[in-house]
Amino acid sequence: MAAPDNCFHCALPNPKGSELTVDIEGRSHRVCCPGCKAVAELIRDSGMSRYYAMRDAPLPGAGKPLPEASEWQVFNSREMLDAFAETEGGIAEARIYAGGMYCSACSWLIETSLEKVPGVQSVEVSPLTHRLRIRWAVDKAGLGDILSGLSNLGYRPQPLAADDASRPEIAEQRAALKRLLVASLGMMQVMMFAVGLYAGDFQGIEADMQHFLRLVSFFVATPVVFYAAKPFFTSAWRGVVARRPGMDLPVSIAIGSAYAASVYATFTNGPAVWFDSVAMFVFFLTLGRYLEMRARHRSIDRSVALSQLLPNTATVVVNDENRTVPVARLAKDDLVLIRAGDSIPADGVVVAGASSVDEALLTGEAEPRRRAIGDLLAAGSVNLDAMMTMRVTRTGGDTALGAINRLSERARFTRPAFVNIADRIASYVVVALLVVAAVVALYWYFVAPERAFVITLSVLVVTCPCALALATPAAFAAAGSRMSDLRLLLTNGNAIEVLSRATQIVFDKTGTLTYGAPVILSTTILDDRYDETQCLSIAAALEQASSHPIARAFRTDGTLPLVTDTKVQVSQGVSGIVDGKAWRIGTAAFVTEGDAPQTASSTIVFLGFDTHAVARFELTDTLRADARDTVKALINMGKKVSLVSGDNATAVAAIAAALDIEDAHSDCRPEDKLRIINALQESGERVVMIGDGINDAPVLAGADTSIAPGHGALLAQTNADVIMLGDSLHPITTAIRLSAATMRIVRQNLAWAVVYNATALPLAAAGMVPPWLAAIGMSLSSLVVVLNALRLNRYT
Amino acid sequence: MSILYVLIPLALLILGGAVWAFFWAVGSGQFDDLDTPAMRILMDDDRAPKDSDE
Repeated sequence: MAAPDNCFHCALPNPKGSELTVDIEGRSHRVCCPGCKAVAELIRDSGMSRYYAMRDAPLPGAGKPLPEASEWQVFNSREMLDAFAETEGGIAEARIYAGGMYCSACSWLIETSLEKVPGVQSVEVSPLTHRLRIRWAVDKAGLGDILSGLSNLGYRPQPLAADDASRPEIAEQRAALKRLLVASLGMMQVMMFAVGLYAGDFQGIEADMQHFLRLVSFFVATPVVFYAAKPFFTSAWRGVVARRPGMDLPVSIAIGSAYAASVYATFTNGPAVWFDSVAMFVFFLTLGRYLEMRARHRSIDRSVALSQLLPNTATVVVNDENRTVPVARLAKDDLVLIRAGDSIPADGVVVAGASSVDEALLTGEAEPRRRAIGDLLAAGSVNLDAMMTMRVTRTGGDTALGAINRLSERARFTRPAFVNIADRIASYVVVALLVVAAVVALYWYFVAPERAFVITLSVLVVTCPCALALATPAAFAAAGSRMSDLRLLLTNGNAIEVLSRATQIVFDKTGTLTYGAPVILSTTILDDRYDETQCLSIAAALEQASSHPIARAFRTDGTLPLVTDTKVQVSQGVSGIVDGKAWRIGTAAFVTEGDAPQTASSTIVFLGFDTHAVARFELTDTLRADARDTVKALINMGKKVSLVSGDNATAVAAIAAALDIEDAHSDCRPEDKLRIINALQESGERVVMIGDGINDAPVLAGADTSIAPGHGALLAQTNADVIMLGDSLHPITTAIRLSAATMRIVRQNLAWAVVYNATALPLAAAGMVPPWLAAIGMSLSSLVVVLNALRLNRYT
Repeated sequence: MSILYVLIPLALLILGGAVWAFFWAVGSGQFDDLDTPAMRILMDDDRAPKDSDE
């Protein structure tokens, strides 16, 4: 559930002074905005209040409805139906992406409420891919009605083109599940036969029966090795080809050599087979990978991350006629009309009109850019104040946004190869044990052939690599579950080892260390006929008309004076009539119609009427409340802290000084940030990158490991190894400390397993351990490892 | 003990059947969502939407 000072519905912080509440199941809860209040009341009034009791802790802002109600009605047209749905006999089927969905309770909420829309026949929601498939009667409801139903619940629907059938996550999960099943059933069967074989070695067994049991084991273990363990072999081979052998190589060697030796022994009546060890090893590895994959899928959906930034539809001008078309249908040289407040659907050149454009998503810079005829527009940026027409130059993946996405894909691919030491040790030990077992068998075969079987068997059982194989995965699994309790989502298990050895923490500025949106720092009254409250409410009333980021700083929930005749002047300000006076808010030049100096470090906004300034507001992007403590804690932990930002030098220097960060870089483009990170890596640092913007995505992918705040851009989250839920920076230090604790547990586990094997092996090799004692020893050693790992669940 | 020569292959046949059934179930999407059905049994009820004034 949300913290008391955060919105009950969307978990964003409640604005100061807001007194909006919603009553659910007899209790009153605070909400942050009228939109969340409306959604919460809708959920309550449709009898679905239990959603709030059942859902997971929300990602902040996940369920927050869009402030501007989109015009879903355009989707009710015949054209849109053809573009996004398949219709057969009056029944349409469409696939819709529901942005903002984050848990199973969401899918329940969506299914239950959409089933109440008249004409809807079936709704299937997949929480994994955040997509839903819906079938409905076209004469009862339009696509737009369904989309607006979703939008009313606070989700951001996006109809998917009918040919968007590729769902890589589903395919990956299904394949992984099948592999896990083959590995687990195979392991259980082979173990059963192994019991028979061991008992036979112990009590005597007919040679025919022994051969039969070995053949059966071979038969069952073969699909385990060639089907369930196939990903390890392919990934090991890829590593060899790329000359960057990964941790799958020793794993593959261990599996492959044990299997080959066992097959040889089966068909030549050799001393022993190891099919049981092979199957068990494959099972534990597959289980670990499967759990890791599920954690990864829960948080991200890469395929849609990009298109969520683009609008669903665009208005195309054909022969002086406006036509609404799906963005996927845009082609080069189309003329597109972009209204104020719209996202730009493709890259293009302005052919008519002028406006200012918010490109923060691409560049990370908060300041809007002015764009006029002949200027380039980038897909994904937002048109702030006036209508423009553009000619499309590039669409979809060819756009600048698509290029950033590709840059981060590439950075992810070339991330420094990380070899998991624990797994590597486990794999080498497996190979070593097999060699030792073979040597012991050979020795006893010549010294006392009648005892060779039993002794080799004891050696193999007592040194079963279970404890070694479990040492790392058990600790990582416990750490992952503890992290999610501490509101950290781990999407890549390797991050734990890297985090524990991190030496350099690199922060992005805007949106990560700061709130990313300007707030009013100070108000100076220049005309004492007005007080601060009056000025702020007049300012808020005027700024209602503007979607400029600065305007958001003035938003309040209080009652505002009536404004008439509002006009938005591009890059200057807003004018309007309040109480009979022609008020203006904006730059000094705009308000006083004269020249006035501007300062660089913060934004100054003037309010006045009839060329007479009444108030002066100073706006600035402020530091997060816990930024200072977090940076100090990191420095105390002995980490080096750096700041890289796309912002100007003055702003970066001010933040760096406030936080005592010595190493600060300003005016960085995504490529520059990546270069800085790579330079640090070359000088031997282990770099953790913390950033939230689209422009940080390549850097997050290129750093040794990366953390993204949950409120940041989706593309940043898809490239991060750890996602912090909640609106605080404090979890960074927790993540690093927990990772260090996890690695301590892993080292203890490995040490225990090695000590146990080192003591047990000579005893068994000397023939002093009977097989039954060996089996007990093996089970106990595994148990110790698991119990030790579970201690992490109580880590604070 | 020679009964094992019949019973073990029989067990393997049954195992093969179980694997086939599971593969079919995975392929038909029954395992795509492992969380919502568990939740639905706790959340859904027979109340008509209208008499839910709480």
